[in-house]
Amino acid sequence: MRPRIWEVFFYELRRNFRRKGYLFTTFGVPVLALVATLALPSLFASLGADVPEQNNDPTQLNLPTELMQGIERAGYIDQTGRISAPSGDLAAAFTRYDDEQAAQAALDTGAIQTYYVIPADYFETGDITQVLPRLTITQINPDLIRQLVLNTLGEGVDPQVFQRLDDPANFREVDRQRNTDGDSEAAFDARFIVVYVFAIILLGSLFTTNGYLLQSVIEEKETRLIEILLSSLRPFELLAGKIAAMGILGLLQVLVWTGAFLFFGWLSLNDQMRALLPLLTGIARITIPFNILPTLFLYFLLGYLLFASLFGVVGALSNSMREGPQYTVIFVLPAVAPFYFLSIFATTPNATLPVILSLFPLTAPMSMAMRLAVTDVPLWEIALSLFLLALSVAGVMWLAARLFRVGTLLAGQMPKLKDIPALLRG
Amino acid sequence: MQTGTAIDVRNIAKSFGEFRAVDDLTFQVFNGEIFALLGPNGAGKSTTIRMILDILKPDRGSIAVFGAPLSEAAKNRIGYLPEERGLYRSVPVVEMMVYLAQLKGMAAGDARKRALALLERLELAEFAKKKVSELSKGMQQKVQFAVTVLHEPSLIIIDEPFSGLDPVNTLIITELLLDFKKRGGAVVMSTHEMSKIEEIADRLLMIYRGQGRLYGAVDSVRQQYALNAVVVEGAGDWARLPGVARIDAAENGRRGTLLHLQPGVRSDDILEAIAHDDTLTLKRFELAVPRLNDIFIQVVEGEKSNA
Repeated sequence: MRPRIWEVFFYELRRNFRRKGYLFTTFGVPVLALVATLALPSLFASLGADVPEQNNDPTQLNLPTELMQGIERAGYIDQTGRISAPSGDLAAAFTRYDDEQAAQAALDTGAIQTYYVIPADYFETGDITQVLPRLTITQINPDLIRQLVLNTLGEGVDPQVFQRLDDPANFREVDRQRNTDGDSEAAFDARFIVVYVFAIILLGSLFTTNGYLLQSVIEEKETRLIEILLSSLRPFELLAGKIAAMGILGLLQVLVWTGAFLFFGWLSLNDQMRALLPLLTGIARITIPFNILPTLFLYFLLGYLLFASLFGVVGALSNSMREGPQYTVIFVLPAVAPFYFLSIFATTPNATLPVILSLFPLTAPMSMAMRLAVTDVPLWEIALSLFLLALSVAGVMWLAARLFRVGTLLAGQMPKLKDIPALLRG
Repeated sequence: MQTGTAIDVRNIAKSFGEFRAVDDLTFQVFNGEIFALLGPNGAGKSTTIRMILDILKPDRGSIAVFGAPLSEAAKNRIGYLPEERGLYRSVPVVEMMVYLAQLKGMAAGDARKRALALLERLELAEFAKKKVSELSKGMQQKVQFAVTVLHEPSLIIIDEPFSGLDPVNTLIITELLLDFKKRGGAVVMSTHEMSKIEEIADRLLMIYRGQGRLYGAVDSVRQQYALNAVVVEGAGDWARLPGVARIDAAENGRRGTLLHLQPGVRSDDILEAIAHDDTLTLKRFELAVPRLNDIFIQVVEGEKSNA
């Protein structure tokens, strides 16, 4: 007899794609974001916000708005007598005062938003006092002083030497562990970008798709339609059809969001393209590490199936949309847990913890992706990890299908853990 | 196993923890009959139905559907309407019907044609493209029934098919059930509406505390509980009739007088005596066969007092 997974798949795909909630979240939110992206610059322009001009002379220091942290003008009192007068943009941002009274008067009149007192022993101690009309954490920022010191040091220095002082090196690393004769920084970044894209798509799919899956399962329980469905097809067919349909819908949503994010990013970068050209050139040099993509795809597929089946288990045992989602955190936390150990993964990817996490099925997809980004993982570890993951998928799908069958009879509270074996016996 | 047996249940039992839901139950359902499953709430009717449909596994005993343990292919020949039932609320009626028929192995095109024809017969044609949530409760009930028979099953199992229906719609569903039976289909109907069982069911099984208590043709079950008595309605002194042991008011608030007959006296003898007695005026004469409702109460109360 022909399996009815496809009937379930196509029906769920059609039914859920047409939900107002799905359409709004998938397409409406990016459209709103587009409107905001297009409208905000005009709004800022109408409010008179100026984007500072950039220049390419390394000794002429640029002061991007994020450096100023909302400060339009600042003052300073140099008690060392060794700080040079600011030049370029810095001159427009910084005013020198002879004493604190003069600076305070300027602060009181609003001519400056803050001033710095650079004491005579600054070069020995590094101590500086910043005076603000009121405490604003975001305006406490050492970068302005750093620029002032660099400006002093850079006086009369060859622009190329100054450039090296400001940005000493573009490292090219030789990784003996990977047996490569040198990954460029760009290639290294590319691996991380691939891992981040993997993480965004996997976690995005988990949070969006499985939410829909849970909703769909619980709806059928709440309306008691599930009993009619299970008199027509195997629980596994119902679950598998739903998982496949929700997976496609979730992936579509994540892809639309990612595409929209890149598109809006491109739109917003357009105005400052010249300034960011070097960065864009850097990105252009990045080559995608195709050798790890098939492995990552397998982890994505099995990871998605594992978490979707776990959501199926929760759905089979839940009686309402109010009850179900609170239990899903048990599975979602391990999925993101490897991020807490990011520094360990980056520095010692083959240490015990990363190896264990990349073998444990719930943490394996993210952990292995993070390890693959920084090191060559032995083939047997990848094989064992994928085997354990596949085994878990089969086990959890079986469990979910069994619970689906008996879950139709459940009413009231979710069953306790000790009740599950009896439920599985049907 | 008999020819034409749709369901053959042998000695099945099912427990949930300490609670024995079904205990050594045996019965058959034949093609071309309406079989009533009755019993008080919690008697084990739904558990029995779920075991027939393979949603639950019996702890022991065997169940054959169409002559064999229930296969996935055989599921396509069954229409099931559980007591607690629902529909996808935000989906057009006809679309949902087609989907559920497809799950039963019907081609989408055929399912659509038949769904529209059924909706027409159920006077719901104009609601075919409406969402289920826009239908009244009674309309949803009729759609649920339509879903049950849409894929042209050989056996339908329905739980409380008439609940929530007005008399007109009850008549429509009754006609559909009788029509289905006439075409050789088997119907298992679980209901508390005893008058409906008397009206359309051929045989019945009454379950109490998981065990079969009454089983057989509806008429013969009623006969088993029949008193040696007749009910008369009219005027005169009925106690004077020869062969009458004593008289009572008809039971359960019905009109008329209940005449208990002496041993060996038949209802024919009493009717003849009335015909020859000029002092008596007869408007109604019937055998004192108890209603299923009375038998149901009698069995349940009897079991309770024995417990």
